[in-house]
Amino acid sequence: MRSRVTARADLFAAAEAAEARRPVPAPSAAVSPPPPPQQQAARSRPRQLWYAVVFPALGGAQSNDVSLERLCLHAQRFTPWVSIEPPDALLLEIRGSIKLFGSLAALHADIDAAWNGLKLRAQSSTAPSTLAALWLARAGQKALIDDAGLLAGQLAKLPVACTSWDVSRLSTLRTMGVSRIGELMRLPRAGIARRFGRAAVLDLDIALARQPSARRAFAAREQFRERCDFETEVEALAYLQKALEPIIQRCAQFLRERQAGVQALEIKLKHRTRPVTRIRLGLASVTGDPGRLADVSMQKLSRLELAAPILSLELRSGRLQPLSADSLDVFACLGGAGGRDTAPQLVERLRARLGEEAVYGICPVPEHRPEAAWQRVHALQTGGVPHAVRRIHRRADDASDMPRPIWLLKEPARLAAADIVELHRSRSMLEEGPERIESGWWDGKDVARDYYIVRHAGGARLWIFQERRSKCWYVHGVFA
Amino acid sequence: MPREALSLGSILADARVWKLSLSSRDASAGHSPSRPVWSTGRSALDARLPGGGWPTASLIEVLLDAPGLGEVQLFLPALAQSQKVLGETSWLVWIAPPHEPFAPALAQHGIDLDRLLVVRPISATEALWAAEQALASGVCAAVLLWLKGTDDRWLRRLKLAAQAGGALGVLFRPERHRFESSPAALRLLLTRGDDSPRLDILKVQGGRPGPVELDCSAPVALSANFELT
Repeated sequence: MRSRVTARADLFAAAEAAEARRPVPAPSAAVSPPPPPQQQAARSRPRQLWYAVVFPALGGAQSNDVSLERLCLHAQRFTPWVSIEPPDALLLEIRGSIKLFGSLAALHADIDAAWNGLKLRAQSSTAPSTLAALWLARAGQKALIDDAGLLAGQLAKLPVACTSWDVSRLSTLRTMGVSRIGELMRLPRAGIARRFGRAAVLDLDIALARQPSARRAFAAREQFRERCDFETEVEALAYLQKALEPIIQRCAQFLRERQAGVQALEIKLKHRTRPVTRIRLGLASVTGDPGRLADVSMQKLSRLELAAPILSLELRSGRLQPLSADSLDVFACLGGAGGRDTAPQLVERLRARLGEEAVYGICPVPEHRPEAAWQRVHALQTGGVPHAVRRIHRRADDASDMPRPIWLLKEPARLAAADIVELHRSRSMLEEGPERIESGWWDGKDVARDYYIVRHAGGARLWIFQERRSKCWYVHGVFA
Repeated sequence: MPREALSLGSILADARVWKLSLSSRDASAGHSPSRPVWSTGRSALDARLPGGGWPTASLIEVLLDAPGLGEVQLFLPALAQSQKVLGETSWLVWIAPPHEPFAPALAQHGIDLDRLLVVRPISATEALWAAEQALASGVCAAVLLWLKGTDDRWLRRLKLAAQAGGALGVLFRPERHRFESSPAALRLLLTRGDDSPRLDILKVQGGRPGPVELDCSAPVALSANFELT
């Protein structure tokens, strides 16, 4: 009963839209007359069936959203539509799952068994409307109602307190002598609306399945986050790596369930006094592969110098990105005998240890000045499709007839007069030239140079130029 | 590795499967078909190397008198050819080159720059580590490494990595390491000659060491427009 995260919300929205098509009382009307019982309610089978579960143990706890979320994940085994009812309850729409589990009774028992398995005290109930199910569950009645017509009779017996309305409203009701929902339902609607607001009337209508109620479907967190607290402060990196390993496995599992990958991870190390150490891990491509995630994080951790002992370790994933299926090359294993890596893996392993800036690609730029005719590329194209623009550049370069040196010096090295005499005396040969490069007047770095290729005595070939204004000679490249 | 590829590997390992390997396409006999050989682009040099080209899955050591003797150009034809043949798994990794590789020049030589990686490690150990990773990765056609000095143990590790990954490993070192022992399958010495650089094969597995005649274009003498200023 698992479906994609995105699909879950859509399904729910579609159901709400279907509900919304039914006439809803105009909000401007002071008090609407009671809406006619729904078509579905008139028949024995309402369209939606809600299983509500209340965990009394969670009611008082401070931050139980997290644990409710965790319980939601359990509930998603039974249906993709689960919503959180703070502070202590969950609502599951189970109409679609009945067939799969055999019968309503079997399904209800199965879900209850899940809470038992977690050693949680739970009160559950099933009813055709959200609030009816919730109220029944709060009241501790284990009811399985599949007929909207029976709702009014079942709800009438419940105490008003199980509505979990606010305290002032409940105390007013008490002073009015209303203790059961049945007594409340007998009161005139206009009177209830005047005293308690239209919301109270609406709640009653929802509970009786006369009005639809919107619930937000729970969508699993879109980020992986897990913390590991150490019993004692940890100083050994090896221990840290041991602790991280299972977390990475769970992270990979988390990604697999969502058919997603990440391109960045963050490890946070908390110290007693010092500020938190953050380690950012970058991956060359989107991945959910546990091997690659572990590889990069271990590499990064092994280079870490701990400033202080560590209290806790937390792994957070970056933004989840959908995994695109790569086609596997059938003959890839013929290329290399080892073939245990992919190009992105190699790049990210090198970057994890040597730093982001230390690993880069290069590409030509259509520009006449040699120093501007290339640039570093840090976003590596690890996919198969070559860059169309770069192809064009390459063709332009093929056209230039004079060869270019393999090494370009960072700064042209000025030749002293003695060097030039030396070049002359040592039977240096002029192979090609001059090639005049005169460009760049528009950005203030204009050059006017005559380039020559010179074979130095013994065979070293140099790319030298004469600055046309100063008449000075420079070496700019080496034909290695 | 995906499971499919592994099973394909086991099929190919079966002696009954007759396969047309990359190297048999080179139509050069006399070498093991499991290790492709890339032509050096110079017939005189090809003739001296077993298999007729640079051996892959092994380490080649080039000892240099001085940089700029055409040491990179020795390998450029082979690099371009290997990139064409191998496709996806033909990354070139240049580790610690002495200067910036000039992209337009490499493009002129037919190198696919989309699959070229320049690595700038901060120390020799880092460089050796990076070379080992790249050689063993199986996605590299060739790994070129520039080093001032290293020890024998690391060279052995590089050789093993090259054998595992099937890449062409080239190590450039200064000439002073000439008399040290080296596990490289092929050792070359490039020195300044009278007019053009001289290439000596110091050690070649399955071949005969000795000097190699490199054909060089006839340069013109310095002309008058190269003037003192």
